[in-house]
Parts: sequence; structure tokens; C-alpha cells
Amino acid sequence: MDQPLDNLPLAHFLLTGAVIFVLGVIGFLTRRNLIIIFLCTEMMFQGVAISLVAFSRFHMNMTGQTFVIFVLTIAAAEAALALGLVVLLFRRKRTLDAQAWAELSG
Amino acid sequence: MTLELETIKWIPWLPALAAVVGGVCCMRKSMRNLAAPACILSILAGFIITLGVQSKVTVDSPRVFKAFTWIHIENFAVDFSFYVDPLTIIMLTVITGVGTLVAWYASGYMKGDRGYARFFAAVSLFIFAMTILVMADNLFLLYLGWEGVGLCSYLLIGFYYNKPAAVAAAKKAFIVNRIGDLFFALGIFLTYSHFHTVSLAEVLRSAGDLNTNLHAGGQGVFDLGAAPSVVVIPFLLMLGAFGKSAQLPLYMWLPDAMEGPTPVSALIHAATMVTAGVYLIARLLPLFALSPYALPIVAAVGGATALFAATIALCQCDIKRIFAYSTISQLGYMFMGVGAVSTAGPTVSATGAIYHLFTHAFFKALLFLTAGSVMHSLAGQLDLRKMSGLSKKMPITSVLMLIGCLALAGFPFTSGFFSKDLILADVVEMGRSNSPFATLYSVLGIVGVATAFLTAFYTFRLWFRVFTGPEQYEMGSDGHGHEEEGHDAGKAGHEQAHAPKSGETASAAIAVEHHHEPHEVSFVLMNLPLIFLAIGALGAGLWESKFGWIHHGIETSSAFLGYIPKTASDAGEAHDIHFTMQLISGSIAIVGIALAAWFHWLNRPAGERVARAFSGLVKVLNNKYYVDELNDALIVRPLRTLADVLFVFDSLIIDGIVQLVGFLPRALGMSLRPSQQGELQGYGLGMAFGAAFVLIVVLWSLNLVAMH
Amino acid sequence: MNSNTLIPAMILAPFAGALVVALSRESHARAVAAFWALFTFAISLLLAWRFDWHQGGETQFPLSVEWVAAFGLNFSFGIDSISLWLILLTTFLQTLVVFATFASVTQRAKEFYFWLLILQSAMLGTFVATDAVFFYICFEFTLVPLYFLIGIFGSAQRTAAARVFFLYTFTGSMITFAGVLYVAWFNSQPEMAGLYAGAGEWSFDMQTLYLAAHHLTAAQQTWILVAMLAGFAVKLPLFPFHTWQPLTYAEAPTAGTVLLAGVMAKLGSYGMLRLAIPLAPAAALHYAPVIATLAVIGILYTALICWAQKDLKKLVAYSSISHLGFVVLGLFALNTIGVGGSVFYMVSHGLSTGALFLCIGMLHERFQTREMSQMSGLAKVMPVWAFFMVFFSLASVGLPGLNGFVGEFLTLLGAFTAEKVLGPVYAGIAGIGMILAAIYILHMVGKVVWGPLKLPRLADAPAPAAGEPAPKVADLGFREIAVLAPLAVACLALGLAPTPMLRSLEPAVDRLIAPMQEVAAADVSSPAHTTLTQARAAAQAAAPAGNVASETAQ
Repeated sequence: MDQPLDNLPLAHFLLTGAVIFVLGVIGFLTRRNLIIIFLCTEMMFQGVAISLVAFSRFHMNMTGQTFVIFVLTIAAAEAALALGLVVLLFRRKRTLDAQAWAELSG
Repeated sequence: MTLELETIKWIPWLPALAAVVGGVCCMRKSMRNLAAPACILSILAGFIITLGVQSKVTVDSPRVFKAFTWIHIENFAVDFSFYVDPLTIIMLTVITGVGTLVAWYASGYMKGDRGYARFFAAVSLFIFAMTILVMADNLFLLYLGWEGVGLCSYLLIGFYYNKPAAVAAAKKAFIVNRIGDLFFALGIFLTYSHFHTVSLAEVLRSAGDLNTNLHAGGQGVFDLGAAPSVVVIPFLLMLGAFGKSAQLPLYMWLPDAMEGPTPVSALIHAATMVTAGVYLIARLLPLFALSPYALPIVAAVGGATALFAATIALCQCDIKRIFAYSTISQLGYMFMGVGAVSTAGPTVSATGAIYHLFTHAFFKALLFLTAGSVMHSLAGQLDLRKMSGLSKKMPITSVLMLIGCLALAGFPFTSGFFSKDLILADVVEMGRSNSPFATLYSVLGIVGVATAFLTAFYTFRLWFRVFTGPEQYEMGSDGHGHEEEGHDAGKAGHEQAHAPKSGETASAAIAVEHHHEPHEVSFVLMNLPLIFLAIGALGAGLWESKFGWIHHGIETSSAFLGYIPKTASDAGEAHDIHFTMQLISGSIAIVGIALAAWFHWLNRPAGERVARAFSGLVKVLNNKYYVDELNDALIVRPLRTLADVLFVFDSLIIDGIVQLVGFLPRALGMSLRPSQQGELQGYGLGMAFGAAFVLIVVLWSLNLVAMH
Repeated sequence: MNSNTLIPAMILAPFAGALVVALSRESHARAVAAFWALFTFAISLLLAWRFDWHQGGETQFPLSVEWVAAFGLNFSFGIDSISLWLILLTTFLQTLVVFATFASVTQRAKEFYFWLLILQSAMLGTFVATDAVFFYICFEFTLVPLYFLIGIFGSAQRTAAARVFFLYTFTGSMITFAGVLYVAWFNSQPEMAGLYAGAGEWSFDMQTLYLAAHHLTAAQQTWILVAMLAGFAVKLPLFPFHTWQPLTYAEAPTAGTVLLAGVMAKLGSYGMLRLAIPLAPAAALHYAPVIATLAVIGILYTALICWAQKDLKKLVAYSSISHLGFVVLGLFALNTIGVGGSVFYMVSHGLSTGALFLCIGMLHERFQTREMSQMSGLAKVMPVWAFFMVFFSLASVGLPGLNGFVGEFLTLLGAFTAEKVLGPVYAGIAGIGMILAAIYILHMVGKVVWGPLKLPRLADAPAPAAGEPAPKVADLGFREIAVLAPLAVACLALGLAPTPMLRSLEPAVDRLIAPMQEVAAADVSSPAHTTLTQARAAAQAAAPAGNVASETAQ
């Protein structure tokens, strides 16, 4: 831990994070299955987490890592809750299609 | 007997206490009969105090007695305090004297009515308000009495509240009075803003000073430019007086007010309350004299009202309404009298008006109460056409009413003769003076004489119709608002024998039992007080011409503008005019009576022929010149329609605008609604684009992205 | 107990009571509420007893608790004689209202008394606040309990009434708050520093804002006056912002209506006196004729509408608008008699109109209707009720000797003698309202109290056969008389001896309107863009005006 990011430049890590995040966004916008949509949001989280960890290493402090720990914890809690909700939604309409839930239309 | 002058401040509070006692008596049936003695005794005590202190008042008047501070904010201070001068004493004598006798009579007349205690509570309250009115030391307190008597009048006219006509009449009386009161109130405000006080003593002093200056300057007409507000005050106060005293154009409530019990008509609507307007002008005479036009206008309105009401009285058939129009007409006389006063002479005091007020109280109360006896005796019958020749059945009543009629007609040497004559003489004297309004006063003199003739005629038309001719009558339905416990003539005396507890059915039975035929009413309870009134009606004039109590009193009160000492020749000339007028009015009265005797006693068919010959005129008079109908069509209905229209306007237009304003944001929301399609991923897309947009803007603004 | 803690104790007592009610049993709710209402009344009496009546114009029992220091926000309390009289009115009416509703609220009593006590806390808070934001919070918070009281316990159209009431008054007062914020922002500007105590930093203390207002230009003051009136005129209500009121008053339960008319309406006029006039003194003076004209139109317009009413409660509701027109007229006479009379009228109107609504509520409990055409001649079967009804009606038409007269006459006299502001014409035309009041009140009394007996047929009772005696109607019971009698005594006492109250109001009123009188003395038609300071300088013919103004110029 003498040097920040021994050989690789910061941009590589950020690009990796961005790619994962964008993949998550695309998945979120295009897929219909509630569980997949949910998994895509998790992927977006991980993209951001990679960036944070990279920054943390780059600046040689623990702030970013702390954030990531928080994000992971919340993501875990949220996963439990969200999956529970998904199960409930499935029980209501017997489908996982996100478009089946459009009651808020104006 | 003399009392300390200080005692006079108890006069209003005793009836106030009696009113509270009466109110308590309303709650329990067993206590009902207690209300009458409480009321009578409290008024009688006031009368005794008035007589007891009167010798002291003339010496060191006026005196002000403060009870407590009423309204005080900043430099506006109004006290509950009393102003006592001889005019106050004269008014108190009338109010408490006639009040005692009427209450005494009423204790018999109202016997057995469901609202016996309520009646006496209201009468006590009335006496309280009326004494406050005449004793008030400032205009605000006077206004309290003024509206207070209006309230009692409202409560008592509507006494038989079962009867819609009584309720309507009560409402009309209050509202018409309120119109006058508004102007009265504005007059008080203007007085305050001009004089910076509403205290009578101070206002009268300032007005007196102004008058003295005016007189010293030799100007007959006050300079309007110098103090415009002060010349407006009398006109505002005048309208208040016209409302309370039923003068044109605010007179129409008084005939309707006859829906109340007869003692109320006698006390409130003949002897006391309606004279408050005359009192007000007499009291504030120096203030009225400041405006050159105010008093002549008062006189003109009075004269017009006197003639107008007298003509209506000619063709009415309801006894009480004839007397009501006669009251309006006589009040017109009083206004003529109080208006025939001028700082420039020759008449410098309101003696005539107050004198007539004094005598009128006696004979008009007597007339109303005897009419009440007739009505009592005939179970509520008031229609002149349905009774005749009652003198054998009711000898005492017929004589008593004859005395009243003679006094009203101005038969020589009765009280009405002297007082009416004094007013006529004053008016004629003004007509002969060099006043700029001399012509007006000359016309008014003729109007006065004509009215005197009409008065004599219609008064005796009534008396001859009721008491002479063939004996025939038709019983009324006791429908004058009396409800199941209703009372009638005979019952008054008889019921004392019965247990006072006699329930509703019992007294109803008595009522039926005694409905058979008319008969004389109870002597002690009803005729005895009338005899006292009759003595007053007959003798007050002779007594006054011997002792000059009123003349002397007025000349030491505020109703006196004594700026011109009368020269000996003036006095002699005045005496001549006086004597001439006495001759004229005396003979006019006799002619009127004789004519009435011919048409309505000796040769009734002739009277009917004359009536037929002038049937058109009779119809107009019978319908009171259609004033009520006009009033209804021109004022009441349009106002009511306006109210209805405004109600619709309020809920449609005003609220409509509000609803429209409320609808605009809603409409905006409605138009944006379709953009919310409700799909999760739609929102997600929007969010992504939004985030991208924000990102680009931020980066661009930080110059991190080249935009070319 | 330290006197300075009395005020917070008084505000918190009903709040605590509400919590206790929420925890108590349904059947005990009314007794608990009655206890706490009485307790609060007792505290307010203690407050009145400790109050130094000779210093009525000073803010007494001041207490300030810091809230958000950065913005100068404080929970600060203090009362002068104006506040104290309105506090006494509130606690007195609240106590009577709780007792009056004993029989009528049978379901969800816990909720009812909970909201009623919360409402009292909020109303009292408004009257004691010396911090503009705290005032505003309490002012707005009154809406919440009332929304529920109307929405749950009202008559047939209750939900619509609750919604309209909330939205209309809330919209208005949002604008008022913007005005307050503007003055506070103006005060916080650095260039103001040193001009007067508290200048140049954030503060919502009313006294500081009053001082800041002296440096506002005429144009700024105009907008502030408009903003202030937006909230207060709606609350009062002043014509033409009154349309929410008849619906709300008619639909609200009796207790709600009594408090709405008795106290809530006074929040509007109190706000005008406390904020609108002192925060825009020159504009208030300049536009007084406009506002007084609205008041006069309102007096006549609503009085006429009263006459066309068929529903008793709506009639009294409209009459209330008409009466409050006199309050506004007196306020904008901007002299001691007018404003003092106006404050007197606020208290007096709360008593007599509140009592009329109680009387009508008692009728409604018996007949389940308020239609005037359904009933007549009730004096015969309910003489005690008839007595009170006639008594309070007479108080309402301003019969001398009763309370209404003093307020009505002083406001009119104030307008009449306010030479440079209003004048005799305003008083004269407004005075026609006295005639119209007699017309509609006697119309109502004549229809309902007098006349031949007619009872409404109860919905659940079979139609009586012809000739059958009319069903028995119970006259007022002991509890109902005990509720109305204190009001009647208060009406009579204020009518016969108004002086102690008027004298105590005088210094407080003088203190509020002193700046206006200075300007009026200088020149009422001051040209636009003149600050009060300039006017004062002109009045004193001192150093050339404008040196202060130039510093404050934007």
C-alpha cells in the first residue's frame, strides 16, 4: 500500500465502473421481468462501488471504502425487502411483467 | 312635602328593579300576580319623588347627577348621569303620573292573560328606558333610552305574538324607528366632532353662546359657511325625532302599533314614547335655533302631518286606529308648536308644545283606555260600524270618553283647548312677525285651525257612533290576539272572586260566560284610574292658566331662548292674538262637534248620503292614501328583490370567480396528466435522460466538454 | 409559579389535555376535555390577575426560547392588553363550547375533543406570539384541527366545506407569509445595520420588523399590505373574499362554528392589527379608504343577503360577515376610538354571535333542521330558549345597553371622526347596516320565535294526525342555561360597563397606531416612494429627508 494504483491508471477502473453502471441502466430500461430489473439496479450499485473503491485507493484514504461498505449493507437489506415485495406483487397478479403495474397512469 | 334633589336619581332604577322582579315572576305561574304591584309601586314611587323634588328644581337648576362612567376611551367620555331641569320634571310628571294610572288600569285589563307577568316586566322596562331618555345628561345616554323605549315598544306591540299581524306591526315599528335612529346617531356623531362633547349641559352652553353671538351680530340668518357641520346637526336629529314621534314620512308604524294591548297604546303610543321627539327638539332648542331653516322645517312637517293624519282619521272605522291617527295629528301640532320658535322672536320658548304634550298625555291616555273598556266589554270588537248606543250599558265609560273627546276636540275650557290655542297663537304670531318664514307660519296657522275643525269632527263622529243612537252591537271574537287564556271585560272584576289559580280552562269558561252582552267594567281596577285621568283632561288647562307651572318651568329650562325681552306693547298684542285665537278655535271646535252630532247622532242617514256623495274621497281616505301599499311597492319589495338577487349573485358570480381561480391550477394539472403513463420503466427512462441532461449541463458549464 | 411561564403553560395545557383525551376512555372524553378547558380558563384568569393593567401597552410576561438561531427564529411569547382580552375570550368560549357539546357529540367523542383542544392551543398560540413565524405557524395550524372537526363532525356537505375552507384560507395565508418573509429579508440586509436595534440581521421579532417597516418605500409597503390582506381578509372574511364562510359555518358542527365565528374570525382582524397595519403603515394609511370601502360594501351587501336566507345558521353566518365589516372599518379609521372600538367589537362579537350559534345549535339538536320555514312561534313551547334567542339577537343588532352597541358605535364614531383617513360618509353609509341588521334579525326572530306555533316534523316521527296535540318539545335544560347565561351576563356587563376594557386597550392601541398618526399629521397624500422616516422628517421640518432613505434605497 505504498503507491496508489501501482501500475494501472485511475481511468481504467472508472471506465470499468461506468461500463457496469451503463449495462445496469440499459438492463433496467429494457427488460420486463421485475427480478431482472431489480438485479440491474444491483449492477448499477456495483458500478458505482468500483469507482468509489478506485477513488479511495487513488486518494489513499478510507472514505470511499466506507461508502462502499455502507452501500453493500444497504443493498443487502434492500434486496431482502425488494425481493419480498416482488414476491407479493407476483402473488397479486401471477406475473412478473413490470408493465402489469401501471395503475399510477394519469 | 319636599325631598332632596339627589333622590331623583333613583327614579329610573326602581322600574328597572321592577322589571327584574317581573322577569323572575314570568318563570313561575304562582308568582305571576306579583309583577303588577311591583310595576305600579315602582312607577308611583317615581311620581312621588318627582313631586317631592320639583320645588327644588326651579331654584338651582340644572343639576347633573352622575351614577357611573359608561363609555370612556381616549377623550371620548360618556357617563350614566342625569340632567335635571324643569323640563325634565314636567316630562317625569307625565311619564310617572300617567304611567301609574295606566299600569293600575292594566292590572285589571290584563288579568288572566298568559303573559301577565311578561307584560308588566316590559312596562317596567319601558318606564326605565323612558325616564332615562328624559333624564339623560348626554346624547349617548339619551340614545340608550331612545332605543330602549323602541325595544319595549317592539316587545309590547308584539305582545300577542301568536298573531302574525302583531308580529309584523312590531317589526315595522322597530325598523321604521331604526331609520330615524340612524340619522339621530349621525347627528350625535356630528355633535361630538363639532363640540368635542356629547354632554347636554356643555352642548347647550356652547350652542347658547353661538346663539348669543348670532343675536348680538343682528344676523337673522346664520352664516352657513362658517360652521357647516353645526347647521347640519339639527336636520339629522330632526329625522330621529320624526321617526320616534311618527311624523311624515316616518309615521306609518304608529297605526299598526295598535296591535298591542290597549294600555300599551295609551301609555307608549300616545302619552309618552311618541312624544320623545318633541322632547328632543325642545331639549336641544338652542342647537336647533342655530340653523335658520331647521325650526321652520320642523313646523312645516308638523303642520303637514297634523292635517294629513286628521284627514285619514275622518274615515277610519277602527276605534283605536282613529285615536292613533289622532295621536299622529296631535304630535304634528306639538311639532308645529316647537317649530314656531325663533331667536328673533316673538315666540322664544317651546312652552306651547310641552303644554300640549302635557295635556295630550292625559286626554289621549283617557281616550285609549276608555276605548279599551269598550273593546273589553264587546269582546275585542273595535269596529265603529258594529256598535251603537252603548251609553246605557256603559254609563261611566261613556261619560269618561266624552270628557276625553271634549278635551281632544278643544272644547272651551278643557285642557286641550288651552294648549292647542297656545300653539295656534304662537304660529299666528310668527306669521305676523318679520321672520323670513312669516308666510309659511301664516299658512300653518290656517292648517292648524282646519285641523282643529277636523279633530272635533272625527272625535265626535266616534263618540256619537259608539254611545248614541239605537242600541245595537255585535260581539267580537275576542280576537285581539288573546289566546286560550284570553280575557274580556267582565272577567276582570269577577276573576278576583275566583281563585287566582284558576287554570286555563276555567278562565276560558268565564270568558265565554261573560261574552253575552256589554257591561260596565270593574270600578276600582279600571274606572278609578280613568277618573283621575279625566280630572287631568278637564282641569289641567284651568289649573295651568292659574298657576303657570309649565310656563314658568319652561322659561327656566333649555327649551327657552330668552334673548328678546318682550316689550309691553308686544305682550299686549300677543294677548290680543291669544284671545282672538281662543275665540276662533273654541267656536271651530263647537261647529265641528255640532256637525258630527248632526251626521252621526241626530240624522245618520244624512251623514251616509254625504259619505256616498264623496265616495271616491272616502275610499282614498279609508285606504290611508294608499301609503302602505306605495311603501310596500316602492321600498320594501324592491329591497327584498335586491336581497334575493344579491343572494344569487353571491353564490353564482362571486363564488363563481373563486371557483374559477381554484379551477385554473386544476386545469393545468389535467393538461399535464397524460404525460404520466404509469410504467416503471418510462419513469426510469425519464430519469436517465434527466440525469444525462444535468450531467452535460454541469460539465459544459465547467468547460469540461467542448460544445462544438 | 413564575409569571413568565404562565403563557407557555396556558398554550400547553390544552395540548396536554388533548393527549390525555386521546389516552382516556371514550366515555370519559368529555369530562376530561371539560376539565382541561376549565383548567386553561383558570390559567388565563390567573394571567389576567397577574397582568399589570396600568401598563396595558407593554408586552408583558415576555419569554423567548431560541429555535433556529441562524435565521433569528424564536419561540417568543408576550401579551399586551389586546392579546389578553382575546385570550380571555378564547378560553371562556372554549369552556362553554365543551359543555354545550356534551349532548350533541355522541360518536367519536375522543377524536372530537382531541381536535377541539388542539385547536385551542393553536388559537392561543396565535394571540401570544411575538415572533412573526411563530405567529404564522399557530395561525396556520388552526386549520388542521378545524379541517377534521368540519370534515368528520359536520353536516351533509361537510367534506366539500372542509376542503374549500382549508384551501381558500391556506392559499391566502401563504401569500401573507411571503410578505412577512420579505420584510424579514429587508431587515436582514447588511446596509440596514445600525439604523435601529436588530437591523441588519435575520430576525422575525415583530417589534424589530415594525421598525424595519418604517424604512420601506411606499411601493414596497403597498405590496406588503396586499400580501398581508390576502391572508387576513380571507380569514376574517372581508368582502369579496367571504364565499367560503357561509358554507363552512353552516356545515361545521356547532362547536366548530362557535369557535370559527367567535375566535377564528378574530385571528384575521388581529392579524391585520398586529401585522398588516404596522408592517405597512404608510400604505395602510393611504389605502385605508379602499379597504374601508370594501368593509362598507360588505356590511350592506351581506346584510341584504341575510334577509334572503332560509337557513338559520347561514343567516347568522352572513350576519357575522356584516358585523366584521364594522371591525375592519374601525381598524382602518386608524384612530384610538376606531381601533379601540374595533378590538372591543372583536370580543363582543365573539360573545353574541357565538351565543346565537349556540342557540341555533340547541334548536338543531331538537329538530334536526335549521330551515326557518319549518318552524314558527317557538316562544310558546320554548320560552327560555326564546328569551336567550331574542336577547342575543338584540345584542347583535346593537341595542344600547348591550355589548354590540358599544363596539358598533365606537367603530362608526372612529370612522366618522377620522378626518384625514375616512370621514362621515363612511360612517353614514355603514350606518345603514344598522337598519338592515334590524330588518334581517327581526325577520328571523319574527319567523322563528314569534308567530303561530309550528314545529318541524321530525324525520323519525310519524306525521301527527289532524287535531292531535303538538308533540312536546323540551325547553332548555339546566346545562344549556348554564352555558348561555354566562354569555348573557357578559354581554350585559360589557354593554353597561365597557370602560375598564376600553381604557385598558387604549395604550396598546395607541402604541400600534402611533406611526400612522405621525404620518397622518404630516400629510396623508404623501407622494409615492416616500418612506415613513421621510414623512416623519418632513413633519418635524428637521434635517432634509432622504438621508436615511438613500441608505435604505434598493
